[in-house]
Amino acid sequence: MRYFIAAALSVLLGAPPASAAPIQITLSFEPDLANGREIYAICAACHLPEGWGNKDGTYPQLAGQHRNVLIRQLLNIRSGKRSNPLMFPFVQERTIGGYQSLADVVAYIATLPMTPDHDQGPWAPGTPEYAEGERLYVSRCAACHGLRGEGDNRHYYPRLQGQHYAYMVRQIGLIRRVLRRVDPAMETIVKTLDDTRLRHILNYVSRLPVPATDLAPSADWRNPDFR
Amino acid sequence: MKQGFKRRDLLKAGCAGGLLLATGLARGADSPATPFINQLSSLRAPLPKARGARVVVVGGGWAGLTLAKYLKRFHPAFDVVLIDRHAVFVSCPLSNLWMAQQIPLEFLTHSYLDAARNNGYLFFNATVIDLDRTRRRLHTEQGYIDYDYLAMAPGIDYDYARLGVEDPGDEYALRTHYPAGFTGASELLTIKNKLQSFRGGTFLLTVPAGNYRCMAAPYERACMAAAIFRKRGVRAKVLLLDMNPDVRIKRDGFLRAFKTFYPDIIQYETSVGITSVDPTRRVIATDFDEYAFDDAAIYPPVRASRLLERLELADLNTPQKEARIDPFKYHLIGDEHLYLCGDARSQPFSKSGNTANSEARYVAEVIAAHAEGREIPWRSPQTMCFSGVHIDPLEAMSIIAFYRYDKQQKTFAFDRTHMVEQWSTRIAQAGLAWGEGMYRDMFYSG
Repeated sequence: MRYFIAAALSVLLGAPPASAAPIQITLSFEPDLANGREIYAICAACHLPEGWGNKDGTYPQLAGQHRNVLIRQLLNIRSGKRSNPLMFPFVQERTIGGYQSLADVVAYIATLPMTPDHDQGPWAPGTPEYAEGERLYVSRCAACHGLRGEGDNRHYYPRLQGQHYAYMVRQIGLIRRVLRRVDPAMETIVKTLDDTRLRHILNYVSRLPVPATDLAPSADWRNPDFR
Repeated sequence: MKQGFKRRDLLKAGCAGGLLLATGLARGADSPATPFINQLSSLRAPLPKARGARVVVVGGGWAGLTLAKYLKRFHPAFDVVLIDRHAVFVSCPLSNLWMAQQIPLEFLTHSYLDAARNNGYLFFNATVIDLDRTRRRLHTEQGYIDYDYLAMAPGIDYDYARLGVEDPGDEYALRTHYPAGFTGASELLTIKNKLQSFRGGTFLLTVPAGNYRCMAAPYERACMAAAIFRKRGVRAKVLLLDMNPDVRIKRDGFLRAFKTFYPDIIQYETSVGITSVDPTRRVIATDFDEYAFDDAAIYPPVRASRLLERLELADLNTPQKEARIDPFKYHLIGDEHLYLCGDARSQPFSKSGNTANSEARYVAEVIAAHAEGREIPWRSPQTMCFSGVHIDPLEAMSIIAFYRYDKQQKTFAFDRTHMVEQWSTRIAQAGLAWGEGMYRDMFYSG
């Protein structure tokens, strides 16, 4: 607290902060799923009650994503670090609420079953494109995102299993053109790969199996919370 | 066809006029002045020289603003010019809430200069008057602009003839005294003034047939008008005459809202075949009845902007006189350097701000891909729409809909939709956040 006030004072006086070291505060919240469901009604206006996204890549699958990954995206969009003008006002405190609400809503989203019918790339196992994608994924991506594309909640690595191929292609395109800023390690890896190779990787990723226990019983399943 | 020849002849005459002027000047100052209109076709518009392939976007509505921004974003080498005849943007979406004093006018009003500055394109405040597709030259009242790509987003015009109003005097009277409120700020301001000063009696609103702009707006407006009259303590009836057999969207929600909040104020009539409107006697005639009104905002059926017809882009055999475009790639059939989107499109998508915004992002990407010799897969526009039903506090319903192409029927149909007909303050808040996000996207930060 003392450091925080000192930093604030130096800003007021127009002097540079005494130390350039970042001040990190960790806050913990006990998620309230019932409130999360209430909050998610706002999100569902666009993301739909299932949070499954669109096969054409306009919306990502949110269901089943790690809570830390979701909350980081919400905070990055809230601060403008991740540019998303349409979503920006929705994630401001005045609309979605404070940190507790964010914690509640991501906890709710993480409980949603995933779509059994997400968009997959065009190359089936056995094709050279699939094989190249697998090889590159294992060597360049799996260290963080996991061999099965399971990601890692603790380290904020997104789960890739079940994500729409078209969505990943669009996002990688934005990252490549530096229209979306991400982790520097990720940016570096993306820079070393051309569009074709990236597509082969994403094709492979889009074909990684999602554990059956995480999937909804069918593509016709509808979220009973919003009936 | 005949009309077309006339138009071209006029253009030629214009060129000839320019030459005449030159000789006239050479002969001295006392020779008869050549009218400015004859010089116009050879005058270059006062714009910076194009730096890269020039894309001219016509129409600064939701489609045009989004096109201009994302053309530049997806293909930074483009030199993008957005043309609109208005100097300032006032949003039609959400204007019903402003009429009911739930948001300030500043919320809806934005500067084209900000849009251009923040998104790296040029804004040209001008009126398009002609097009020479062979030379890829667009004429405005301030001179011509040469383009590599032309993207048209001219929106709609009213079609009063479909209300049985053919006489230009009667049409003028309706446009001026009972404006529809779906094509411009003056119409909106006038309707607000009417609602806020109405002294009582019958206030008439109509819902047009066909694919009109903003499906839910007439029903929302009925709710807002009723709420305003109640708040002001005016003894008034809102007469909502619907040319359709039923509420077109969020049916259960609107009918429930009429019954729950305004049973004594809103009178809703369906399947009304409007045959004529007499603006002087203030009587609207239908197949079976005549209705008298004290004041009104009369929304006639709509058609694609008359500009398309003037530029010989419209297919006059279609009911709403749209251009013939490729339904997936949006270019004029036979011309891959001329694109058309927004409410003037020929596909049967809902004519709404959100539809135009999401569609224009895609079309911008299509044009960028064309310039780069690529193709991108089709994706559906999204129709996202919030409707207020109650004020103080504001409560709203919502719907989001996607489209799919039905190969058998050879047309587009609704794909998934998600409708929230249980109104709430939370959905109303989401609706305002939606508007803020849209304006942010079109005018401000990336």
